[in-house]
Amino acid sequence: MKTVRGMAVVILIAVAAMALFGPALAPFPYDRQFRDATSAPPGGRFPLGTDALGRDRLSRLFYASRTSIVLAPAAAAISVALALLIAPLSLSRVSQAGRMGSPFRAAISMITTVCLALPWIFLFIILRAELPLDTGPAASVLITFALMGVAGWAWPARVFSASIGQMERSGWMLHARATGMGPWRIALVHGWPQLRAVAIAQFRILVPAYILAEASLGLLGLGVAEPLPSWGNLLRDLQHPDLVRANPAIAAPLILLVIVMICLEALQIGQSGPETGAARAKAMGEPV
Amino acid sequence: MTPTGSLEPRHAANPRAGRAGNRRILARRFAHGLFGLIVAVLAGGFIASALVRYSPGFEVDENSWNPKLSAQTSAAIHERREYENRLPSFYARYLMAAMQGNLGESDAFHVPVTELLRERAGVTAGLLVWGLAGGMLLGGWLAWLAVWPRRMSFEISAVSISGLLLALPPAVLALGFFLADAPIGIGVTLAIAPRVFGTMRALWSDLYHSGSLLAARARGTAPVVLAWRYVLCPAAPQLVALGGVSLVLAFGILIPIEAICDVPGIGQLTWRAAVARDLPLLSGLALIITFVVALAATIGELVEDGPAGGGGFDGTESMAEPA
Repeated sequence: MKTVRGMAVVILIAVAAMALFGPALAPFPYDRQFRDATSAPPGGRFPLGTDALGRDRLSRLFYASRTSIVLAPAAAAISVALALLIAPLSLSRVSQAGRMGSPFRAAISMITTVCLALPWIFLFIILRAELPLDTGPAASVLITFALMGVAGWAWPARVFSASIGQMERSGWMLHARATGMGPWRIALVHGWPQLRAVAIAQFRILVPAYILAEASLGLLGLGVAEPLPSWGNLLRDLQHPDLVRANPAIAAPLILLVIVMICLEALQIGQSGPETGAARAKAMGEPV
Repeated sequence: MTPTGSLEPRHAANPRAGRAGNRRILARRFAHGLFGLIVAVLAGGFIASALVRYSPGFEVDENSWNPKLSAQTSAAIHERREYENRLPSFYARYLMAAMQGNLGESDAFHVPVTELLRERAGVTAGLLVWGLAGGMLLGGWLAWLAVWPRRMSFEISAVSISGLLLALPPAVLALGFFLADAPIGIGVTLAIAPRVFGTMRALWSDLYHSGSLLAARARGTAPVVLAWRYVLCPAAPQLVALGGVSLVLAFGILIPIEAICDVPGIGQLTWRAAVARDLPLLSGLALIITFVVALAATIGELVEDGPAGGGGFDGTESMAEPA
């Protein structure tokens, strides 16, 4: 198992390096058109060929990797941070004592309920439809991943609420309170170290989920806007079987995506018991 | 432990009192589930009406552009419209109309939203049934392979198949079947199976190690009886709950699949509404989907918890054990 995980780490580091240094490695800018070589097959000048607009597929793959690999963790970080902020509020002693009032707790519970009741992608589509039509490519990247981060907080919040609930009922919490420790000190000294492991696990669950989600949205034309490439919008060419038959290299983004996803999955193996495995299945399923 | 020192619950000595207590707990849980459902639908309706209310161009009244009207009349029309469309009153009217089956008219299709939903619901329901039933069967079988035979090769195969299916975007998976002229339902099944695999694996693992099963195996009980009495019957509540939760993810999976594979269902309608920025349609969809999904999840949780459960749809208690 260690070998598999080691291999997964090596591959992921290689893909991450490709993503980070993609612009330097790419032979051409992602939006440069070669009008004399539209839909060119793979060859010496264009190792993966060109698309219908004459843009080098390899260069676009480098840039797309950067978009998907760098921004998915950022979106996951937003979700986890939001969940970490919201989850304690729904269970805090302050709200339970009634000072902030039970309506506050009920409101948080209601928002969580609605977010969990609506399919994640549907929530995203609604939010996306509210945005202006003339969104630029760079803004669309940020909006896509920011919305993913914002729309995906409910599942980690659910897990954090459970963890905090367990902590509040635990013996060490009672002991800490009995010794006169303040709530902030308990939270920082005892609570956070326990919650940190859950937060890291949630982050690792959400990263592949967001990579897949971006791919699905890109396929639908609701993700990152052209001409900026992402794995999602590069996959759109797969909808044309004639193109794929003429140039199988079109499937390169899909192969890279599958490799990265399998490596991320491999990292989860052995890290999770049945409990986190089930949570992973739920969280993985939600945002696709 | 009870004050008498016994590990048995106090009402164990009095079965009638125990049954009454269970009924009370069940009623409380039912009320809690119903409350969660109502809250979810009301909140979904609020989001829906807020979306329509603040959609671009909603405040514009064509009458106010009529050159035959005086400035005072135009101002009066504008004022009245503003008054009528304040969010709380707009929400109340929207909800009342929705309860009477009127979800407004689609901007893009120029057809009542309810009619669009009625036309397409059957297609999506068919795919959901296919996907959920097939996905849970396949996921359950893979999970069984990973846990039951206790063979490393089986476990590695099951985990690898599940991992590979999980690594593929569902839309790409379904696209392959669509282009190969194969039933898209199989694509939906293959997309759902790996997503229930983890939960079912945990469930089978728990059951495999249960004392009652070990005892039954030691007694030499027939495999069919073992599977029915010691696996499927005890797992039924959790499987129903998993089905309820899986409805959300199945619908999320169906949106890209229907859109890309040109299936005229609710998922495709959602995508078209988003592309056309048809907010009345999106709002109607939000309301209906919230209701259906919240209902399924509530029923699933009620079945799973039974009278002794401890969770709720708000997820503050049941989440203690995500499995």
